[in-house]
Amino acid sequence: MWEQIRSNQVRSVILIALIAGLLLAVGYFLGLYFFDSAVGGLVIALVVWAIMSLIAFYQGDSILLGMAKARKIKSDDAPRLYNVVEEMKIASGLEKMPDIYIIDDPALNAFATGRDPSRASVAITTGLLQKLSRDELQGVIGHEIAHIKNRDVLLMAITSVMLGTIVILSWYASRFLLFGAMTGSGRRTSSRGGGGGAQAIILIVGLVLMILAPILAQLIYYAISRKREYLADASSALYTRYPEGLASALEKIGGSTRQLKSANQATAPMYTVNPFRKEGMKAADLTSTHPPISERVRILRSMAGGASLADYNDAYRKVRSGKQGIISKNAAAAVGAVGIRQASLSVPGELGLAPGKAAGKAAPGTHDASDIMLRLDKWRTVDCECGARWKIPPGFRDNNILCTRCGRRIRL
Amino acid sequence: MLCPVCHKDALIVEYQDIELDYCPACHGVWFDAGELELLMASAGFEDFRRYLEGILNAPEPDTPERKHKCPACGHKMKKAYIDRDNKILVDICKDGDGIWLDGGEIQHLVKTLAESSPDKGDSQGVLAFIGDMFKHQD
Repeated sequence: MWEQIRSNQVRSVILIALIAGLLLAVGYFLGLYFFDSAVGGLVIALVVWAIMSLIAFYQGDSILLGMAKARKIKSDDAPRLYNVVEEMKIASGLEKMPDIYIIDDPALNAFATGRDPSRASVAITTGLLQKLSRDELQGVIGHEIAHIKNRDVLLMAITSVMLGTIVILSWYASRFLLFGAMTGSGRRTSSRGGGGGAQAIILIVGLVLMILAPILAQLIYYAISRKREYLADASSALYTRYPEGLASALEKIGGSTRQLKSANQATAPMYTVNPFRKEGMKAADLTSTHPPISERVRILRSMAGGASLADYNDAYRKVRSGKQGIISKNAAAAVGAVGIRQASLSVPGELGLAPGKAAGKAAPGTHDASDIMLRLDKWRTVDCECGARWKIPPGFRDNNILCTRCGRRIRL
Repeated sequence: MLCPVCHKDALIVEYQDIELDYCPACHGVWFDAGELELLMASAGFEDFRRYLEGILNAPEPDTPERKHKCPACGHKMKKAYIDRDNKILVDICKDGDGIWLDGGEIQHLVKTLAESSPDKGDSQGVLAFIGDMFKHQD
């Protein structure tokens, strides 16, 4: 396991260096073209990058959670969810319990964020809480905890910041270029009559870079994130000892066509499944941050006989019909054999419930997940004698409501 | 949720695991897409999504009624008829977030649909549910 993380880290460092190189190249040509000084451009690129990195490092997780409109919950808000996260925390050997956030969104998704394993958060949508059984949720949480444990969260933050810097620089450069051309500022061509040839080359290289750099950086970003998804899946299977949980959760998530409202391109790789996926998206898509869901499910389902990393590796080879596994041999061997456990009995949607209430409910698809959000927002709940339950927003001023079902007036 | 018509806080009423947003001021009701699906599924409507898409793809009728914004996504909603006789004009979110029925439209819908198709067993359960839910108004 550790060796795998390390080999992943080496590869990541190379990829990060590539992105950083791109960033510097963009800055270099930018400076050369606009200020006649490569150093100036480099300084600008580095300053922008440094500011963004500092913000990302210190405030990144709260910005992300804020952008996703996530709400932090405590153990008594959703005891069962808390319990599942705690289980996975222990199984993974994470030193500190991550903070748990809920996003009020019917879409099915989850993500992990944070600086390092001792300061991390997992966020899941209310839709997911509602639709998944305990085993499935455990699989998803296991996957997210694996991202924290494998230190993917910080890496994704670093790379996405660099990607963002490249995109911003290129965008502004191209605007300046257009604007400059339109106002017909002839400074660059007239002031330096001698270097016409070199000037043209710089312009062409600069232009090509401006167009290609964001695309290249994005491809590298995708390459980093996809590999880590497989490893997180393998770790989740290992932590839960029940690959079917994550497999069927992924299937449910894949079957839902609702898009997450608060996701954007930069945050996409953090989610369990790509929030922008459309129906019929191509399997081996280069621009996909996540491996195709169907393939992830197939690999998890082919894990016959065990839940260890070696079993995942075998399944990966079988499904991809290739020789190479996703996890190195030594890493897989270090974990040893791990058996698959039995399925636990649970219905979807019970995770948000207090333990006593779950047994009495027959129908799945309850609103307990959204009730948690309402409770956090200080809504009041009154039960009418006819069986209807009224939920009243905190700003409601009247002291009674009319139950439209039975005509009773309910005092508040 | 804010009522798309009077922009006041709407109440939520839950009955038999179906949750609907109800504005006590204008008596309008918001059917969230997820709740609609639950409701239709419990009544045995299978191609509900296709039905909804059919409504969404129909040409927008010419009407003086004021347009409202979807309480879920904030985009302008589309006016559409949901009954066969083109009498009940509702607001439907173009992104498929849900349907808004003005006060009175529900009772109208329940009445017309019950009269026009007394043989349709599937839809009766849903209509009865909705009708019962908002039977009493002041």
